[in-house]
Amino acid sequence: MSPEQTQVDVPELAFPAGLPGFEDLRRFALASWGGPDSPYARLVSLERPGVAFLVAPPEAFFDDYDVEVRDDDAALLQLDDPADALVLVMITVGERADQATANLLGPLVVNTRARLGAQIVPPEADPAHGARVPLRAA
Amino acid sequence: MLVLTRRPDQRIVIGDDIVITVLEVKGDTVRLGIDAPRSVRVHREEVHEALRRANAAAVLPDADVAALPPLPPGRPRR
Repeated sequence: MSPEQTQVDVPELAFPAGLPGFEDLRRFALASWGGPDSPYARLVSLERPGVAFLVAPPEAFFDDYDVEVRDDDAALLQLDDPADALVLVMITVGERADQATANLLGPLVVNTRARLGAQIVPPEADPAHGARVPLRAA
Repeated sequence: MLVLTRRPDQRIVIGDDIVITVLEVKGDTVRLGIDAPRSVRVHREEVHEALRRANAAAVLPDADVAALPPLPPGRPRR
């Protein structure tokens, strides 16, 4: 994600493979949320009312989290230029701010030019721990 | 459940587009190769289950964003 990109808004994104548990949902909108200093955005289903996810770039909370995109996933996303890639992680909210967690097992990769997205599993990802990693407050 | 027995280098075809090849059997481990269209996600079962559960838990409880609890501010976008 380029440092100059301060807002992430994509009115229509296609997820050709859906999301695990939501395979039939293929069309989403991505909209910044929380104001200009907020890292958060919402991924909103355009097909099923009430289905929306909170997402954020992992660098807002984690150092050294680099996502390796497999060739098959890059091909699905038509990702030829790494500058077109936006990495986001799904945030699960709790009752309190310190209970929010990020899914580092299945980050989202969005091709901002082609308007395609997918939830991918980086090589070496650990299913036992990576899906609910506590956010570190800035 | 359909149960088939295969030896290394033998394959299973699912639909028209998915082919599973038994590459190697060593001890209690089997290595499988999967050819499938890119839009068909293939995961180890425990990975798929972890993702499915995490996604289900991540659905925002209320479409009205004003109802979200406080969140860590994170580092702002540069």
